[in-house]
Amino acid sequence: MSEVKGGIERVLSRLPKGDASVLVHAMQDVQTEFNYLPADAVKAVAEHLGVPFSKAYAVATFYKAFSLTPRGKTILKCCTGTTCHIRGSSVVIEDLRKGLGVGPGETTPDMAYTVEAVNCVGACALAPVVIAGDRYMANLKPGEVMKRLKEG
Amino acid sequence: MQIFIDGKRCGANQGETILAAARRHGIDIPTLCNHEALEPIGACRLCTVEITHASWKGWKGLVASCLYPVEEGLEVFTASAPVVELRQVILDLLLARCPESPEIRALAASHGLHQTTLPLFVEADNCILCGLCVRICDAQDYHALSTVNRGTTKEVGTAWKEPPADCVGCLSCARICPTGVIRYEEDQATRTIWGRKFELVRCTGCGRPLTTREHIEASRKRTGLKDEYYTCCDACKKKAVSDRFVQVGR
Amino acid sequence: MRIDTPNTLETIRTRLKKLDAGVKRRVLVCSGPGCAASGGFKVHEALVKEMRDKGLEAEVELAPCLERKDPLLVAITGCQGLCQSGPLVHILPDDILYTGVKPAHAADIVEKTLKGGEVIEKLLVKDPKSGERGKGRADIPFYKGQKYIALEGCGRILAESLDAYLAVGGFSALAEALTRTPDAVITEVEKSGLRGRGGGGYGTGRKWRSCVKAPGDERFVICNGDEGDPGAFMDCCIMEGDPYRVLEGMIICAHAVGARQGYIYVRNEYPRAVKRLTLAIEACRAAGLLGERILGSGLTFDIRISRGGGAFVCGESTALMRSIEGNVGEPRAKYIHSVERGLYNKPTVLNNVETFACVPSIITRGAAWFTGIGTPKSPGTKAFCLVGKIRNTGLIEVPMGTPLREVIFGIGGGMLDDRPFKAVQTGGPSGGCLPDSQLDLPVDFDALTRAGSMMGSGGMIIMDDRTCMVDVARYFLAFLLEESCGKCVPCREGLRQLHAMIENICQGKGKAGDLERIERLARNIKVGSLCGLGKSAPNPVLSTIKNFREEYEAHIRDKRCPAGVCRAITTFRIDAEACTGCMLCVKACPPGAVTGERKQPHVIDEAICTRCGACRMVCKYDAVKTV
Repeated sequence: MSEVKGGIERVLSRLPKGDASVLVHAMQDVQTEFNYLPADAVKAVAEHLGVPFSKAYAVATFYKAFSLTPRGKTILKCCTGTTCHIRGSSVVIEDLRKGLGVGPGETTPDMAYTVEAVNCVGACALAPVVIAGDRYMANLKPGEVMKRLKEG
Repeated sequence: MQIFIDGKRCGANQGETILAAARRHGIDIPTLCNHEALEPIGACRLCTVEITHASWKGWKGLVASCLYPVEEGLEVFTASAPVVELRQVILDLLLARCPESPEIRALAASHGLHQTTLPLFVEADNCILCGLCVRICDAQDYHALSTVNRGTTKEVGTAWKEPPADCVGCLSCARICPTGVIRYEEDQATRTIWGRKFELVRCTGCGRPLTTREHIEASRKRTGLKDEYYTCCDACKKKAVSDRFVQVGR
Repeated sequence: MRIDTPNTLETIRTRLKKLDAGVKRRVLVCSGPGCAASGGFKVHEALVKEMRDKGLEAEVELAPCLERKDPLLVAITGCQGLCQSGPLVHILPDDILYTGVKPAHAADIVEKTLKGGEVIEKLLVKDPKSGERGKGRADIPFYKGQKYIALEGCGRILAESLDAYLAVGGFSALAEALTRTPDAVITEVEKSGLRGRGGGGYGTGRKWRSCVKAPGDERFVICNGDEGDPGAFMDCCIMEGDPYRVLEGMIICAHAVGARQGYIYVRNEYPRAVKRLTLAIEACRAAGLLGERILGSGLTFDIRISRGGGAFVCGESTALMRSIEGNVGEPRAKYIHSVERGLYNKPTVLNNVETFACVPSIITRGAAWFTGIGTPKSPGTKAFCLVGKIRNTGLIEVPMGTPLREVIFGIGGGMLDDRPFKAVQTGGPSGGCLPDSQLDLPVDFDALTRAGSMMGSGGMIIMDDRTCMVDVARYFLAFLLEESCGKCVPCREGLRQLHAMIENICQGKGKAGDLERIERLARNIKVGSLCGLGKSAPNPVLSTIKNFREEYEAHIRDKRCPAGVCRAITTFRIDAEACTGCMLCVKACPPGAVTGERKQPHVIDEAICTRCGACRMVCKYDAVKTV
């Protein structure tokens, strides 16, 4: 719990008190700190910025970058942009489901991976693309993604 | 200024919306998300009308009358073919969402639609996402409610689905809801809404429910009115005043 | 160092120009989104190390080159365009473009090319049509026919250097603009005919003029970097590769409309753009190009970066402004335009990244120069991202009016794997698909719109015979369903009904009358929705029905997907005559439905087959057929 408190303090120390306009950025900071949005952290941020708790919740749930539930250590962002779609992103997602047992929006029971379907990341020349943490896995052929993931 | 609604010349005021001008002239335009006490948001689109203007070279368009500001010479049609078709489609879509809602069914029936032509996409309740509850709560500066998520998963609710600390139990949301979705319970001493239990204050005169203790406290902080104001209902207040007049008169 | 006056600016520029001209030898390493993703930064690292180890005077920035006798600038640049062939390394002054470069190639590049003057053939790009190797940008067909205005600096100059931008003339437009009245600046932009590059095509000068006319004491300038169309990454490249150009355009706008505060709204999915813009803003502040009394003039203007939260709808101007204000990105009706009441209800100019990137050139070279390029109603150039089933996937910029055919088959190098062309999709989820009968249309704001599509922000997706147009409509509807803010009934409820109708067709459950029902619903969503997302959401459906009606009818009437994409109505069969028994499909099949021995014809077990199409994707002999 003190970890969460420490994290909250860190986030608040960088936020201007009473400035409601930085709410979205504040949530991004919270998510960077905790890998998701714990309710306590959002509440503290809302109070600090002078924003109603209900509004903070509206923002937390409106923007898809935010997760209200804890996420895995490595986030697997599967691009589902048009180019990736026509070059087989659905096969890649199926391969991941087969290999990890989870689909988009889900986390493996051991909290190692969260699979997320994301909008176009701009690497269309390399379609289909999965971003594992910071690492780009590109030009994924059918059946290839699990091997490339384990290669690390 | 002068505008024309369905061919009829109507006086209109600068800064007014088409809907407001029409209503002043007794012209009915259906709405769902509109309320005189609140800023319009143009969400239900039921109030859509067709507009044109002599200077627009024949260009016509459909706009939400609750938001569109009047201008000199504006020509408004509240029941042209595209408007009627759009209204049908909107009601059809709402019926597909809330097929069991008496209010939506009545509204649709009054436009000749008795059941939806579309597959049902029924949500958990009859909320039509008009946003009136959130808006009236915000307008009174309580901010207990908000919209949650977006798109088809959008709903109205409280932060983290928990009983909202900011709610004062005033029932504005329940009263303004056009489809009666927001439920509350009352007994002798309490009122429960959004999962929170409030102390229900009753009139010291006749015993009918006034409002909650929390609402009184919040209101008192803002208005600075005396205690007596909050202990009896309007009818009893009036009686107390007229009793005093009678006494003084004697 | 603060640049307090235009004279100081010119003095510094003269010095930097001289320095820049003196650095003849350059190794430009691309860090565009494609190349960065496939290891461009590691290539840069390896090259620098190898050069220094071998005694070459390698520098990664301009200034240190001053100290060197024979400096070699090894620079990280923005996107160099030929994304298909990355990581790219461009060597000057010899104009050698190396492709597919790995860190392991560094030793050879340094030894053979930089020291020995030799060209390494196997690293040159091979033309997909002729098979010939092209040495550099001057002789690679991809680069012919392109003209760079918005992308002038991208891929050429250091991506993170104010010095580099100044050396090529950066901020001379600002200095020039500050000598003119705001009105004169707006007039120049009006005369240039510049139209919004984000897709709307609204006259930029006209927008600035309306903002000035709107009553109010405070004005804002916003740059829309929310580039949400899938398949479009032009703005990403401009923000990452030439951030100072965007800032310069915004500052000129601020002078023209009288704004003191600006914002750049950058999509959440573009962290490198945020980083580079942040560095650029800080450098500008330190140099006095942002902040108070810019270049000694009366202009005070600063810029903040606002990051998106993962919402396509925030590319819509009113939703974007709400997001900057810290709210959910719900649009509002635009009966009163943002130029009158925008951010915080004040007059606001919102323009796209590419639009701002065009402004400096218009000021320095004049409106007449700009109108001399492109077409009368669409002057100038347009940046596009050519993606999909095309050989030369990449970032390009061409004069408006260039025919689609030239873009796709000339610059684009034609179809990947030689498969037949089927459609070109432009305008993202708001746009449409054009078939090959329309390929002679010129690319500009109006021609494509007349044909039932739209040019859009620049994403151009090429589709072949293995793309199902009904599936494309379904794809875009599913996308918009996810992205709809949910406020208004026609969009929120209408799109899910429309999606369900198309989904049914893809599942083989289509009925007679479906197309009429779809068209009626689509028509009403178009006119009934609150914002541009809803209003344009039916476009992909309507344009594919218009241009590919037979394909819909095959789905509805024959319960068949000719392209072999809609799984419920597709059956794959391996043609035993064409099959060589190479086992590729056996390995690729996720549920293991394909069996067969080496050199024996393979067989698909229909009971297990999920119709994912992986086998057809990997087959080199076209042996997998749709039944």
